[in-house]
Amino acid sequence: MKWIPQEVQTTLDAIEYVDTAVIPIYSIAFGGEMKQSAAMVEFITLLTSHLERQFTGRILLFPPFTYLKSEDSEKVLSELIKWEDNIVKSDFKHIVYITSELDWRSHEQSLGGPLLWLPSIPLEDMNDSQKIGLIDSQVKQISTFFTQKWNEN
Amino acid sequence: MSKERVSRRQFLSYTLTGVGGFMAAGMLMPMVRFAVDPVLKAEGGGDFIATKQKVSELTDEPVRVDFTFKQKDAWYESEVTNTAWVYRDKSTDKIVALSPVCKHLGCTVNWNTDKEHPNQFFCPCHYGRYEKNGKNIAGTPPLAPLDVYPFKEKDGFLYLGKAEPRKEA
Repeated sequence: MKWIPQEVQTTLDAIEYVDTAVIPIYSIAFGGEMKQSAAMVEFITLLTSHLERQFTGRILLFPPFTYLKSEDSEKVLSELIKWEDNIVKSDFKHIVYITSELDWRSHEQSLGGPLLWLPSIPLEDMNDSQKIGLIDSQVKQISTFFTQKWNEN
Repeated sequence: MSKERVSRRQFLSYTLTGVGGFMAAGMLMPMVRFAVDPVLKAEGGGDFIATKQKVSELTDEPVRVDFTFKQKDAWYESEVTNTAWVYRDKSTDKIVALSPVCKHLGCTVNWNTDKEHPNQFFCPCHYGRYEKNGKNIAGTPPLAPLDVYPFKEKDGFLYLGKAEPRKEA
């Protein structure tokens, strides 16, 4: 489900089925890193939207958690944990974070759900069918992660 | 001198008829146009989208066919890729194109991915299953069969229309 009124309503009506919250994490940087930051956003956006298409009935794709890269990482982490507390309160059983930002791997232990870290692949020079093929194969790999996770409980 | 002279009275009545006729036509034309508009409107569902799938290459085994079209959400236009599961039914020799969207909550179903139930469509979200012809299997979450795409063959390639709910046989 996407974060739009109709689908959020469906989620609320069927919370026992739509039990997984997916949160993309984006960092914003400036100067020389600005383009790199944009590439990560493009990659993760395409990836999560394709993932949502595969698992529409079980995933609610949240608006991305976006923070300034120059910000203190403990502060950013505590902000995300606030999100997490609210999501748990809203009856979601699973929370999955998706990011291209390497720094988050060291924080995975502090989070209540698994963090999928995917190295960002520059998509700017690809044509549409190459992009679709690439994203599709990445999503296939992540899909197994999701199905396994759901099978556990 | 011409034999038939036009009298003042005749001249006036001709002109008035002419002008009146134009005015009446000017008023009636849009009305008629509005009245018949639904007939003239191009059929929205009749748009068939080309795929890269050759019809002759279809077999009894469902294959995934992707096709791309433009979709407009408010003013935002984007390219959308849709998928269909297509196969040629051996017994009837007819092509069947099924929508991959699960009728439960809209996940994408896959062919033959559940090892315990081979040769079925399987939805990984809540373990919904469908038979090969798209019929939902009782006891699994979906309550309706998979939607069906109308299709056309043109120059050997498969064209797909807009998926429609299946009418119960």
